[in-house]
Amino acid sequence: MNPTASQSSIVSITNVTKDYTLGKVVVPALRGVDLEVHAGEFISIAGPSGSGKTTLLNLIGCVDTATGGVVRVAGQDTKQLTERQLTNLRLNTIGFIFQSFNLVQVLSVFQNVEFPLLLQRKLDKAQRRERVMQLLEQVGLASHAKHRPNELSGGQRQRVAVARALVTRPQLVLADEPTANLDSVTGQNIIDLMKELNQKEGTTFIFSTHDAKVMSHANAVVRLADGNFLDRISAAEASRAMAAGGH
Amino acid sequence: MLQLFLIAFRNLGTHRRRTLLLGGAIASVTALLVILMGLSTGMKESMLRSATTLSTGHVNVAGFYKVTAGQAAPVVTGYPAILEQIRKDVPELDFAVQRGRGWLKVVSETSSIQVGVGGIDIQSEPGLRQVLQIRAGALDGLAESGTVLLFEKQAKKLNVQVGESVTLAAQTLRGASNTVDARVVAIAADMGMLSDFGIFVPSDTLRSLYQFKSDTAGALLLYLKDIQHVPVVQARLRQTLTDAGHTVMDHDPRAFFMKFETVNREAWTGQRLDITNWEDEISFITWTLTALNSLTGVLIFVLMVIIGVGIMNTLWIAIRERTREIGTLRAIGMQRTRVLLMFVFEALLLGMLGTLAGASMGLVLCLAVNAMAVHVPEVVAVFIMSDTLNLAVHPSSILGAMAFITACTTAISLIPSFLAARLKPVTAMHHIG
Ligand SMILES: Nc1ncnc2c1ncn2[C@@H]1O[C@H](COP(=O)(O)OP(=O)(O)OP(=O)(O)O)[C@@H](O)[C@H]1O
Ligand SMILES: [Mg+2]
Repeated sequence: MNPTASQSSIVSITNVTKDYTLGKVVVPALRGVDLEVHAGEFISIAGPSGSGKTTLLNLIGCVDTATGGVVRVAGQDTKQLTERQLTNLRLNTIGFIFQSFNLVQVLSVFQNVEFPLLLQRKLDKAQRRERVMQLLEQVGLASHAKHRPNELSGGQRQRVAVARALVTRPQLVLADEPTANLDSVTGQNIIDLMKELNQKEGTTFIFSTHDAKVMSHANAVVRLADGNFLDRISAAEASRAMAAGGH
Repeated sequence: MLQLFLIAFRNLGTHRRRTLLLGGAIASVTALLVILMGLSTGMKESMLRSATTLSTGHVNVAGFYKVTAGQAAPVVTGYPAILEQIRKDVPELDFAVQRGRGWLKVVSETSSIQVGVGGIDIQSEPGLRQVLQIRAGALDGLAESGTVLLFEKQAKKLNVQVGESVTLAAQTLRGASNTVDARVVAIAADMGMLSDFGIFVPSDTLRSLYQFKSDTAGALLLYLKDIQHVPVVQARLRQTLTDAGHTVMDHDPRAFFMKFETVNREAWTGQRLDITNWEDEISFITWTLTALNSLTGVLIFVLMVIIGVGIMNTLWIAIRERTREIGTLRAIGMQRTRVLLMFVFEALLLGMLGTLAGASMGLVLCLAVNAMAVHVPEVVAVFIMSDTLNLAVHPSSILGAMAFITACTTAISLIPSFLAARLKPVTAMHHIG
């Protein structure tokens, strides 16, 4: 790996393996994956079900640990960090958007989005309010700030989740099938929103998806197959490949 | 931090039924604890109040006088000088009285009873006046010699009324039988065990019955301004009285009437002093308190264990339900300690609200019982030395009970909370529930 590349890369994965142990059976989910993601990229991870997309995102997001290999996020080898340091990395550097939104039910939309800021303890109340409202504005939910998540539609909830992921202005946002639970129009809106933030703020996005239309927005598509890195292709190539039935 | 409280609070509100159930359980235990403590403390207070006026001071300077080695009389000879010295040596003293002590037979026309007797100077006994409830006659009748105060049960047994006479029969120090006639001037309400075995007569009546000299007392009862000072005063008197040339017996924490056998077996003759405190003198009865306290302890312990298991179980369910949420919060950067704190807050809030409700209930119940002046069955009255139930209500002990139960609840919640916080974020998030 050349050192200049690793400096500008926000995620650097080298020969990473991940095995799940189910009783006595060892299930290899990743079998030695290499991946380099540069700051400002908008990358899609594609591959058939069970190919290891979620596993890979979890490793990048520091919510799971690799069995072998090196995962570097924002220049830090995650194996070397303590649980506390990993949590801080997640809090300050990484934003998460989950397939099933995962909002805190007892908090309002505003409070959900504000939560990471409270954990960070960097901004005062007025600053937090401004930041949260600005993001809610951007995702088009300013008028729903006081609602509880269960009073929102799926698309609205996912937009809240996007706002929560972005509120700390993380360098890296990870999204595991962010549109899978949404209809195509709403999904399209979410992707547009992510793309807009990527272009305006330079935030790096890595998202997994099965949807060719969603994939088409990416700078590059990383394809996985059966836990192996297959290739890294352009969005156009990816849609051609999918059209050819090479899923 | 505030947000964690908010989450905890709202979660309690969201799971209203669970909150009510658990909070109700906590409240019940608290109420029970408050009531049981009230009962125990109330009993102790009643006992202390009755006993320390009927048969003992806070500190007693008593003693035995032996003409021959095997014949002890429970007396202090030459008491005025000793009393004077005590007044000088004990600035903590509120007041002191002298009492005669004896064991005699009360004979009426139809019946007789064996009782202990207290010889008193009614004018110098402010405490007795407050504790004794006179059912017939008047306490001041005892100012005249040749009179006696009986308790209701005794009067009934003897079949005598105020104004009628009884004969008091006893053995003098030298072994002769002697009797005096005494007129019943007052009949007081029963006060449990201590009143069943005691009567009061004027000091000089007692002296003439036993043919004691006028400077002979049974015991000097010292009442202190603050009962906390008992050990200090006891130790000091032991020293100063020894220094003054008296022989002071080794401390023996039993009531005086239980010591005759020991004293009679010893070879010495003459006067020896015995310094005791109120607990020694009613030690034969305080086991009931110990028993009650142990019972209370066991009961509370068992209940706490049951409630504890309930709380743990319910929190377990609550935490399982929210495992995904925990995973999410951990994933977005919440530290383990905060997750722990979030659940601990929930338990803390629940504990505080529950105990507050419980303590209020217990308090109201205690006050109601006190206001109603509930009469207790006779067997109970014997032990608590009072025929009505008195539940002590001390803010400090109620707050203590609240703090204790809240602390237990919170401590119990630590286990599932800790396990939840320890989960890997991804494991937690994938939890189906
Ligand atoms: N918690 C787990 N325990 C055991 N095996 C697991 C676990 N999670 C994933 N796996 C296995 O690891 C492999 C990769 O799973 P992963 O979830 O990463 O696939 P994926 O590409 O995200 O699939 P999908 O498109 O269906 O979401 C699969 O074979 C799966 O069975
Ligand atoms: Mg997946």
